[in-house]
Amino acid sequence: MRILFLLLLLSAPLFSTHVHAAELQQATFSNGAKLIVEEDHSAPVAMVQVWLKVGGRDEVPGKTGLAHVFEHMMFKGSKALKPGEYSKRISAMGGNDNAFTSHDFTAFFETVPAEQVDTALNMEAERFAHLDLDAKEFGREIKVIMEERRMRTEDDPNSHMFEELSAAALRLHPYRNPVIGWMQDLKKLNIDDVRAFYTKHYVARNATVVIVGDVDFNHVKKVVKRTFGHMKDVKVPPRFNPTEPEPLGAKRVDVHLPAKSPVLAITLPVPVWLPGKNDSETAALAVATYILGGGRSAILQRQLVDEQRKAFSASAGYDPFGMGLDLWYAYGMLGAKQSPQNFEKALWAILKDMGNKPVSVKQLQIAKKNIIANEIFAQDSLYLRAKEIGHMETVGIGAMHKDEWLDAIRAVTTKDIQEVVSKYLRPERATTGVLKPEVHS
Amino acid sequence: MKNLNIRALSFVCLLFGFSINSYAVPSIQTAQLDNGLTILLVEAHNVPMVSLQLTTPAGSRFDTINKAGTASMLATILGDHTAKHNDKAWAEWLDSEAIRLGASASRDTLSLSLTVVKDSLPVGLDAFSEALLQPGWYKKRFLSLREDGIAAAIKSQETPGTQAAQATAKLLYGSHGYGHTTSGTAKSLPHIQLNDLKTLYTNQVRPVGSVLAVSGDITMQEILRLLKPRLKTWQGKPSVAALDIKQPSVVRRKSSHVTIPTSQALVQFSRLGIARSNHDFFPLFVMNHLLGGGGFGSKLMEEVREKRGLVYGVYSYFIPLAAPGPFIITLQTRAEQAEKAAQVVRDVMKTLADGKIDKKQLDATKSNLVGSFAQRMDSNRERVGLLSMIGFYQMPLDYLQNWTAHVQSVTLSDVRRMAKAYLQTDDWNILQVGPAKEKKH
Repeated sequence: MRILFLLLLLSAPLFSTHVHAAELQQATFSNGAKLIVEEDHSAPVAMVQVWLKVGGRDEVPGKTGLAHVFEHMMFKGSKALKPGEYSKRISAMGGNDNAFTSHDFTAFFETVPAEQVDTALNMEAERFAHLDLDAKEFGREIKVIMEERRMRTEDDPNSHMFEELSAAALRLHPYRNPVIGWMQDLKKLNIDDVRAFYTKHYVARNATVVIVGDVDFNHVKKVVKRTFGHMKDVKVPPRFNPTEPEPLGAKRVDVHLPAKSPVLAITLPVPVWLPGKNDSETAALAVATYILGGGRSAILQRQLVDEQRKAFSASAGYDPFGMGLDLWYAYGMLGAKQSPQNFEKALWAILKDMGNKPVSVKQLQIAKKNIIANEIFAQDSLYLRAKEIGHMETVGIGAMHKDEWLDAIRAVTTKDIQEVVSKYLRPERATTGVLKPEVHS
Repeated sequence: MKNLNIRALSFVCLLFGFSINSYAVPSIQTAQLDNGLTILLVEAHNVPMVSLQLTTPAGSRFDTINKAGTASMLATILGDHTAKHNDKAWAEWLDSEAIRLGASASRDTLSLSLTVVKDSLPVGLDAFSEALLQPGWYKKRFLSLREDGIAAAIKSQETPGTQAAQATAKLLYGSHGYGHTTSGTAKSLPHIQLNDLKTLYTNQVRPVGSVLAVSGDITMQEILRLLKPRLKTWQGKPSVAALDIKQPSVVRRKSSHVTIPTSQALVQFSRLGIARSNHDFFPLFVMNHLLGGGGFGSKLMEEVREKRGLVYGVYSYFIPLAAPGPFIITLQTRAEQAEKAAQVVRDVMKTLADGKIDKKQLDATKSNLVGSFAQRMDSNRERVGLLSMIGFYQMPLDYLQNWTAHVQSVTLSDVRRMAKAYLQTDDWNILQVGPAKEKKH
């Protein structure tokens, strides 16, 4: 039981022996399609997710946003289903379907009553293999996507600033482009681009089916073998994952938008987890980030907001499960009388201090305990459980390694934290973004 | 800092969809403490955790008109520190035990919630009861939190959704307790004093009429044994009973515009909906699901997004409260086509109000609601929310068992009757948030 494993981690003293991990069951079919199942019979429902090794990183310059277009077009008809019918059928069986896209993956999912899992799998496989990419449907859908971009980015000063910041921070790595695509590119995408992308990427070898819930592994294995496992075997090239050159000095971008108040954010490229290769370094970064930005005792909120009054909200974030690198970040939301310069100075003083001397053992223990507790609370949601499996598998970490991450977290020492902070979180490696409110008449 | 796009807006699920589907509806166990507090429990032993939530009749409807945000500030203070622990010591204690304690306010209620790993339940309840019964009322801390709240309120004005919520509340309810948003505004927050919080706490945070909803790896016997000694000093009944509230007056055909420098316009239709106790709840619930509450299966989504590509999302919802809560239809689109999109919404309303709903649509709506029963309550968090609603609004305890039957019994003539009563375009108000309106050409 995975839960038992997590509980042991939570209560065990440091240095305890390796506890063996989760009850994941897997199958790989001859065409490269994969299946991973975590059975849970506590309620007669199942989360079915289809994960693809395709995302924003697989787009070529001038065609940003293409991967995300599929998040929309997959609902716009296939050989067997009319536009909109996919969702209608899932809805009629009492299910809810949706999809999401990142730089590293695209995933389609539905929660369905357990007895409908076979039907859902058949439908997923049918649209995957026989998508009907109609020019007229695309013409309408790309307009919807532009409205989505207006809503999420153009009309939201914070996310607009973060988009600029990412673009300024990186030279080669695809995390520099927004997943939804630049508006300029969206306006030029056409149905031929979409069809070419589909032929190239929507192949069995890129697909992983993840099911968490009230299913029997041997049964769903047969269903997936008959569907995804039966598609043509198409070889896929390695994914685009360039090595980002090391920053040569600090960078800065001011973003002038009609905002109400300023935001200052810094971002720095840091490594992501490669199991067995850099466990201690990346786990130390994760624990350091938790100490800075996690829980009620988060240092940034406590010191910069509560004590020094330099922002009204501050935090930090790190995703160790990316591909190639992660853009580590910290930010502060500032009130009318708070200056970006003062916040920035105080933020760097904290990071510098963390690189110069060890955090307390208590801080370290609190961070570890809460990272593990969050894993237990996440078991409450089928969606999050399936997502963790699909994510780890799709970015190349491998779902089977997921509990090793918690072992790595438990092994982190105060010295490890001091080392990674002083190595990576340095001002000369940072790109700083400032949202500067401009007044519109 | 990678962006993740989700295809659909998360539809605000204010109502609870349940059905049977060969699913044994979990039974609700109930008990009452000597002080009058009602306890509702659903056992769930699949994850070793417990979630609980106390709901008291101390919502923002009690805020005086120039002090909008009082209930919300009270929630903030109760969660932030106690008489025994200042905010820093409190944060450290909760984090060191991985106790997730939260507090929040809504229109009718103020809630205190707790999520812990099973083994930490006793210490979690120590913290929970300390937060509830021994407020700290530290002046200096209150002033800091208020200042941060004001800064956040200013920042939130960048968001069309916040602007719309404030304008619609005012338009629809005027001086009624629902006539402002729970979080308050940059204008109202500075008027709030510590004494206002103490008054609300003393008058309304009382065991009689309050509900403690529990879901997780626990039995009634265990939870009672833990709660009784901890809550025995909590006594009394609130000055105003939970469901004792003035009826709002009907407002119709008003229109207003809020100018902000965005590229999209947010269009929001509003009118009064129903109180939680209304006998038409199920017919209206089903009608709304068909109209715009059911996501991709709904009429509005089909006409405004799928057929015309005018929006990313359009949806409708009504909030059943102690008194009739708002009934809302909302969308965001490029400002130039706002009127066009609004007209499509009016046309849909008119079509339904004229009785043009067929049996097939109704059946599809009902089968979605019925089929999605199990998944709407497949986590502790969701179950606690549901139990709180049932307890606070005094719904029958067999509410879950009968839910599907209620949905199934809604007839075509019921739905037509609801559409005729609630979808007359002349009865709705309209608000637009976005760039200044252009002259007609």
